[in-house]
Amino acid sequence: MITEFIDGPLWYFSLLVFVVGVIWRLFSIFSAGSKKDLSEARESGVPGAIGSVFGRFFVKKEIAPQIRLQVVAGYLFHLGLFALLFFAAPHVAFLETELLGFGWPSMPYWAFIVSAQLAFLGLLMLWLHRLLNPVTRLISSTDDHAAAILIFVVMLTGCLALLESYSELRVLHRFTVELLLIYFPFSRLMHAITFIPSRAYTGAWFGRRGVHS
Amino acid sequence: MSGIRSLSQLIFLMVFALSISCLWIPAQGVAAQADEAGLTQDGKVLNPGTDLWRAVRQRDGMPPMADTPTKGMDSNILINTYGEDWRQFRMDQLIPKAGMLIGGVLALIIVFHLIKGGLEIEGGRSGKYLLRFREFDRVLHWTVALIFIFLALTGLILLGGRSLLIPLIGKEAFSVIASASKEGHNLFGPLFIVGVIALFVRFISKNFLGKGDLGWILKAGGMFGGKHPTAGFFNMGEKIWFWMIIIVGLIVSATGLVLEFSFLGGDRELMELAMALHGIGATLLIVGAFGHIYMGVAGMKGSLESMTTGYVDLNWARQHHDQWAVQCEQEGKVLDKKPGVPAEVKAESAPGNPVTTR
Repeated sequence: MITEFIDGPLWYFSLLVFVVGVIWRLFSIFSAGSKKDLSEARESGVPGAIGSVFGRFFVKKEIAPQIRLQVVAGYLFHLGLFALLFFAAPHVAFLETELLGFGWPSMPYWAFIVSAQLAFLGLLMLWLHRLLNPVTRLISSTDDHAAAILIFVVMLTGCLALLESYSELRVLHRFTVELLLIYFPFSRLMHAITFIPSRAYTGAWFGRRGVHS
Repeated sequence: MSGIRSLSQLIFLMVFALSISCLWIPAQGVAAQADEAGLTQDGKVLNPGTDLWRAVRQRDGMPPMADTPTKGMDSNILINTYGEDWRQFRMDQLIPKAGMLIGGVLALIIVFHLIKGGLEIEGGRSGKYLLRFREFDRVLHWTVALIFIFLALTGLILLGGRSLLIPLIGKEAFSVIASASKEGHNLFGPLFIVGVIALFVRFISKNFLGKGDLGWILKAGGMFGGKHPTAGFFNMGEKIWFWMIIIVGLIVSATGLVLEFSFLGGDRELMELAMALHGIGATLLIVGAFGHIYMGVAGMKGSLESMTTGYVDLNWARQHHDQWAVQCEQEGKVLDKKPGVPAEVKAESAPGNPVTTR
């Protein structure tokens, strides 16, 4: 009964909330607009926008020593999660059969394990940094902690179900994924999508003023 | 028709006779051995079945009697009696004794706390602070701690869950939990190894034997009255815990790798030895962690903040790590207030403040 509900109605509901929620959030951001810039532009904002989108993947050497932990843990977590999400064999098969109708090569089992371990290590260290650093602790809200814990639980239930011997574990993983999909549009997790327009906007704003940030 | 029936009967009889003869050949060989052995001392005829089963079970160091073209570990062993010995050791020795040790240490800590209570800071808080652990050290400590707790829980489920959980939740639910525990345990195990190595590299310089360490041991860390023994940055109790994590932790890690990568060719005896050492080592680490957690959280007041904020009160340092406190005072490292976010900024950033609420 619960399995059918999680595999059926709740899955479609969570997917709907996720898609509609993300579109609504993006629409509200873009429709908010910004004050018209009356100053004469020193140069086009486009190079600044593109430069910021890609350039901020690299750490400025002036601040690197202060944020080494966050950078290393951040890359471990995000790259590990990206690999798990899009290249884990069960995910590729699921996306192909249930959503997209086409698939792509998945990573081998050992790569799945290593990706999961790196992602867990990175997430743990990032969350502990959030708790143990007085500044990040101060600026962190319940949303930040809930998002970190939810991601951790989703990853954990997925890895616990890796043996694919028990449908209960698969259903538990799917249930946590559905919670995440519902929570995603209304949380800080939106940064997974908004980081691109956010960086581009800031880069363009500086670029028009001739500042290469 | 009757000809076909006669033919089929003939074939059946031939196959039956062949089967009987196949059974007879090894039995005849064993009987021949019994004949060679003769009679027992009291004149009774030896039972040929006894020798057969002695050979099958490889009693008295007899070589395996079976031969098979299938090559693989134990493929020529008919009945593995060694595995039964191991099973009995695991069920009758390892699990009960590990349970008794864990339960006993937990009970001792509770009784100790009820009698002695937590140790207060001598002279109260001074309001001055020393930086004890930087952020990286604290993140490393809690990362290893969280991984260890997860491994301990899943490991205990795998070790003693059959006897403890099946009566409570039933076999089907336990099989799901056990499968999940195994996957989780195998996944997080290698992270523990990375953590232990990182702890070793980060803290080894402060964990060699130093002045006053033997005295600290003789006075049991001042636990039973008297003046608190002298200590440096780490006291002898902390150094013992450090080396226990490193040595026992690496034994548990190595044996865990043997168990996890069993397909790489470890034989049965190696696997059983690895499992025994893994269980014993992990039990020791768990009871050690109980003591460590107790001392940090309730046993010595003011200790936990060294791993949360990174700072300790000067009087706490003088009481428990007097040599380190003196060194810090001489080097001018005493702080009048705990660095961090000023109170006024905290107030402005408090939830509900209209300026900062997002």
